[in-house]
Amino acid sequence: MTRTPLRPLARILAARKEGENPDAIERENLARRHEAARDGQRERAEGRLLVLGVVFLCAFFMVALKMTALAASDPAEPRAAASGAQIVATRADITDRNGRILATNLTTHSLYAQPPQMIEPVRAARALARIFPDLDEERLIRQFTGERKFIWIKRRISPEQQQAVFDIGEPGLLFGPREMRLYPNGKVASHVLGGAGFGREGVSSAEVVGVAGVEKAMDDVLRDPGRGDVPLALSLDLTVQAAVERVLEGGMRLMNAKGAAAVLMDVHTGEIVSLASLPDFDPNDRPRPLTSGDPGDSPLFNRAVQGVYELGSTYKIFAAAQGIEERLVSRSTVIDTRGPLTWGRHKIRDFRNYGSELSVEDIIVKSSNIGTARIAMMIGTERQQDFLGQLGLLEAAPIELIEATGARPLLPPNWSEISTMTISYGHGISASPLHLATAYASLLNGGRKVTPTILRQDAPTLGPRVVSEDTSRQAREMLRAVVTRGTASFGEVPGYRVGGKTGTADKPRPQGGYYEDKVIATFATVFPADDPRYVLVVTLDEPVETSGTEPRRTAGWTAVPVAAEVIRRAAPLLGLAPAVEPPALTGVTLARSD
Amino acid sequence: MSYLEYQVQTVPSGARKILYANWALVVLLTAVAAVGFLMLTSVAGGETGRWAEPQMKRFALGLTVMMIIGMVPIWFWRNMAGLAYLGSLLLLVAVELFGTVGMGAQRWIDLGFMRLQPSEVMKISLVMILAAYYDWLPIAKVSRPFWVLVPLGLILVPTALVLKQPDLGTAILLVAGGGIVMFCAGVSWWYFIAVIGAAVALVWSVFASRGTDWQLLKDYQFRRIDTFLDPSTDPLGAGYHITQSKIALGSGGWTGKGFMQGTQSRLNFLPEKHTDFIFTTLAEEFGFVGAFSLLVLYGLIILFCVLSALGNKDRFGALLTLGIAATLFLFFAVNMSMVMGLAPVVGVPLPLVSYGGSAMLVLLAAFGLVQSAHIHRPRAR
Repeated sequence: MTRTPLRPLARILAARKEGENPDAIERENLARRHEAARDGQRERAEGRLLVLGVVFLCAFFMVALKMTALAASDPAEPRAAASGAQIVATRADITDRNGRILATNLTTHSLYAQPPQMIEPVRAARALARIFPDLDEERLIRQFTGERKFIWIKRRISPEQQQAVFDIGEPGLLFGPREMRLYPNGKVASHVLGGAGFGREGVSSAEVVGVAGVEKAMDDVLRDPGRGDVPLALSLDLTVQAAVERVLEGGMRLMNAKGAAAVLMDVHTGEIVSLASLPDFDPNDRPRPLTSGDPGDSPLFNRAVQGVYELGSTYKIFAAAQGIEERLVSRSTVIDTRGPLTWGRHKIRDFRNYGSELSVEDIIVKSSNIGTARIAMMIGTERQQDFLGQLGLLEAAPIELIEATGARPLLPPNWSEISTMTISYGHGISASPLHLATAYASLLNGGRKVTPTILRQDAPTLGPRVVSEDTSRQAREMLRAVVTRGTASFGEVPGYRVGGKTGTADKPRPQGGYYEDKVIATFATVFPADDPRYVLVVTLDEPVETSGTEPRRTAGWTAVPVAAEVIRRAAPLLGLAPAVEPPALTGVTLARSD
Repeated sequence: MSYLEYQVQTVPSGARKILYANWALVVLLTAVAAVGFLMLTSVAGGETGRWAEPQMKRFALGLTVMMIIGMVPIWFWRNMAGLAYLGSLLLLVAVELFGTVGMGAQRWIDLGFMRLQPSEVMKISLVMILAAYYDWLPIAKVSRPFWVLVPLGLILVPTALVLKQPDLGTAILLVAGGGIVMFCAGVSWWYFIAVIGAAVALVWSVFASRGTDWQLLKDYQFRRIDTFLDPSTDPLGAGYHITQSKIALGSGGWTGKGFMQGTQSRLNFLPEKHTDFIFTTLAEEFGFVGAFSLLVLYGLIILFCVLSALGNKDRFGALLTLGIAATLFLFFAVNMSMVMGLAPVVGVPLPLVSYGGSAMLVLLAAFGLVQSAHIHRPRAR
């Protein structure tokens, strides 16, 4: 920019010539310069204002545009984005083998409080205490007026209770949907099903996790989201299960027993058709575990699976069958049964003296300890161990019940020759009724090992051979004889050709030795004996039959009649038609039609 | 031109001044305030006594204050600028020390008859002191670094005090309002470009550092920023206001549900429905038409202020008018953007409509200054 001088020489000289004051020119020029600067600044300021105006207009435009967009939009309620990990609350149903529901889910509601949202906390607490008498009013008032922002009040409430709480009208009381496990049949099959509880809990849902039985053992399968709506089918038959439980309960009362167990198994597939343990419980409301005393007395205790007992003479058939299988003896081989049999410090006696000698079949029929021990001596320790192992009597039962994994058979620490002898008649070795049923099924179904299962099997499984068909048949015939002319004569059920073996074992004292008046009475049976379909094991804990002059405790008087009643009731439900033996025809001549 | 340079004789004097007031502005301000009364009646469920009546009384008082301030010559106010700024600054410090805590922030000083919010007063004092500063400063020096640092300090000191309360909304308004006055005063473009560039670079580097080794903020701080910038990620928490007000705006549609028919605001879905979020009630009950009309009213106020400033050869008066217009603009633009989800939620009321005493009084007093500048503007010789 070229600046014009304030005092241009030419004009000053000219002014001087005219006698004017040259300072006036300077003032004039100064004012002009000021004016020019001001005008320039003004222009610049107006340019700035223009820029600002454009910015303002843009802002106006944006606001207006957004306003238009919102006016044109449909209002939509917001949804909360998932907060925290999603809790999967779907659990597959459990059905029996015919698709009848044993366990399902029910949507109920949980009740919780958010005190900061409460309007009248004290009134709400009072009203709640009236609806739920088990809640403490003072405690609720303390909680609602305290610092906490969230309080669980009830995990599950019924629709009636929910309505009542809703009617309080307190905005700080809130409901969350809550899936819960429902067992519509109540106590039926309680020990198999076990029960379920809540795992991780959230406001909008809670995880349902199995806590016992098949619910816990199959928890992963039941909770598998990929499973969809496919229920888990058990091998149980609901009708048979209910009948078995009812008969067993009656038998337990009649025999004054404190507990009872029954296992009904398909001999060919190993499927458990019915498994009962008494006393039982309602899985919808599981009792708390006992804090004192013998856990074996808790209703939660599954005697059929967890109850590891000495099962007594029911083991004798294993020794006899193995002797026949190894061709050491035959059914008619005569064995010396003079007693007592002395081995070192030990003496083996029979319940009653059966004479000096018995055939192998009669040893089973009359249940001679001495005779069985002598057969075991022929077999030897090693082969006995091997055979019992094949029958699954030395391992925990591989069944889909969580309790089974902890129920390992009790074996002698040092399997000596005397152990071999006592084990042959079921003493010095303990196993659960489930073990026994499995071993009987494997031995009697034609000689193929079965694996016990609580899940429905859609195809028969052929296990490895344990004994030959022939040995299996002979074993069944001997067991049939036990019923027709032996210790289990009360076990006869017309038309079902029951075979079986009794077992009565003294209960061990906790401090060592045995009780004299407390027994475990067991009847292990197979029916029909000529065409085996099912194995049933009935065990009574401390039974006393008092109808006679003196109390009777042996299995023949206690477990056998109960088992017979179970078969009488269950066999028709299992679809077994009784084989009617025709009455002797006298004075009638059959005409041949051809 | 300073007031010493023009002929005072041409300025109206005595009662005649009232004829020369900017009556268009008075009418527009009253119209906006009337919208406020209507909305406050509506959110109170048809009850005028709750919010509308106190608001009317305050508006009447404010209007009187405005006219009295307008009658006082502008050069008096120019001389008062320094005093006003210092006083406001002292009040801000005082509120820090003795203030009442309300809604999680320390903002009020209880004067007995009213609760004073010093940050409101500061918005106007800041505009005054900056206008006076640029009136005093020779134009040639405006862009010299030292003479730029002085007003920057004048802006940043109260901003820091306000941020400490904490009141992010007011802090933003102070910086932006002060910046606009500096811009209008002719400070070189380069300063603004540099500051905006630095701010953008800072924000960019903070976000670019996310997930790298040299991350500048903690993860939870980033998450807070995320929610702050996009409340829809947390619709029931931090985004609750916004989602509900968007619903209200959306349900208003083009013509609205009608006076007192709005459910979203009347049914207590919206917190602060009578203060910062009152715009949603307007939008719900009178729809796009009502909301746009209010926008136009504000726009006209700004327009009349700018015209008055353009016709004013007094540098202090012009800058003051522009600064106050800019403050008003920032108020409603930020509030509306916030309510509509264009901007993060910062506590900024809708000027003259939101319920609130000191904000309205201070704003009307500021328009008193605009009137004074308008009445006492130098007339052409």
